[in-house]
Amino acid sequence: MHIPDGFLSPQTYLPAYAVAAGAWTWAAKGLRDHLDETTVPRLAVLTALAYALGLIMVPIPGGTSGHALGIAILALVFGIRQAFLAYSLVLLLQSLLFGAGGITALAVNALAMGLLGSAAAVAARRLFRPLGETVSVAAAAWLSVLVSGLAVALVLGIQPLVAHSADGTPQFFPFGLSITLPAILVPHAIIGIGEAVLTVLVWRYAKARHWVVE
Amino acid sequence: MNSRAWLMLYLTAVIAITFVHHVPTLALVLFAALALAGKRRWQIARRTLLAMLAFNLTVSLGYAAIALWQGNFHSGYLLLVNVRVFLLLYLGFWFVAAVDLLSALSGMPLLRLVATLSIGQIKTFERILNDFGLAFRSRNLARPRLLDKAHHAASQAQNLLDKSVASANETALAMRSRGAFDD
Repeated sequence: MHIPDGFLSPQTYLPAYAVAAGAWTWAAKGLRDHLDETTVPRLAVLTALAYALGLIMVPIPGGTSGHALGIAILALVFGIRQAFLAYSLVLLLQSLLFGAGGITALAVNALAMGLLGSAAAVAARRLFRPLGETVSVAAAAWLSVLVSGLAVALVLGIQPLVAHSADGTPQFFPFGLSITLPAILVPHAIIGIGEAVLTVLVWRYAKARHWVVE
Repeated sequence: MNSRAWLMLYLTAVIAITFVHHVPTLALVLFAALALAGKRRWQIARRTLLAMLAFNLTVSLGYAAIALWQGNFHSGYLLLVNVRVFLLLYLGFWFVAAVDLLSALSGMPLLRLVATLSIGQIKTFERILNDFGLAFRSRNLARPRLLDKAHHAASQAQNLLDKSVASANETALAMRSRGAFDD
């Protein structure tokens, strides 16, 4: 669901960078204490997995792409802060190496998928814990995709309102909320099912190797 | 100019471009960038075109259909958004081709550390997937069915993770021996 470069107005991405800078500072706080020769390889592997998943994407009519995220498994194993930082790095590498996403859209993509996605995953896991491990992990993954998609749809959908010329012609993304919300949320509700299955499988793998401390 | 300075120049150019809504000015900047990129300009341009094609085509066709239906079609918008996206992507690919990304991150040691490890992991993933793919093809005389591909992917997934964990562990131990986790 990356927002590509060139579709976000400076009125959107510059404030988003200000918010993301604060979030990155918060996330990086104390990171050194959590990174050692045991956790770093795991983080690197799951980061690379999220990177690989994000590259298998299909364009969807709302002006973005559909793909699995891998943010839920990062968040469930490492917590919101490390997941957000790792996913921001994934987005940076994807944008620079493959042109997926982009530098101007990096902050919005990172906040939507990295921060909101991981927060949704952790909250859903806690909320649905009484229903059992498989259900709560699957729900966490599905909701992480939906919440991220909602944020992306909202940001894209307000572009015609915040950036247009005197005659009303859009200067960046052309479609309003009435198009972006269904165009992004409906495909991602389906993609979220695949994400849920994948997350449960990787979660079991991580748990079998004692990566998960709960 | 060092990598850090190139990074700053690239970021400034990207921000400036998004404030310009005049197609001839953007086109002029694009021609200048093409001219300055040297021999690899067409290779970068081709890569840019492939990267933006699917998304921009979807948005452009969607916009054309809806705007024509509503009677407020502006061809200038399509030109503006496509030239801008091409220019931004082109500059990004040119920057990565010309500048060492890890050295550009030299002022941010933690980001550089995680970036080094993650890029290493990405390369490991690519190599392992390629090896698995070659092995799978060598065992199939005819073109494998989708179901066979799915079975192959499922059976190799755990092995892929185990191999990449082992590789990341080796890297981390090497980093430990060099004092990477000591400060």
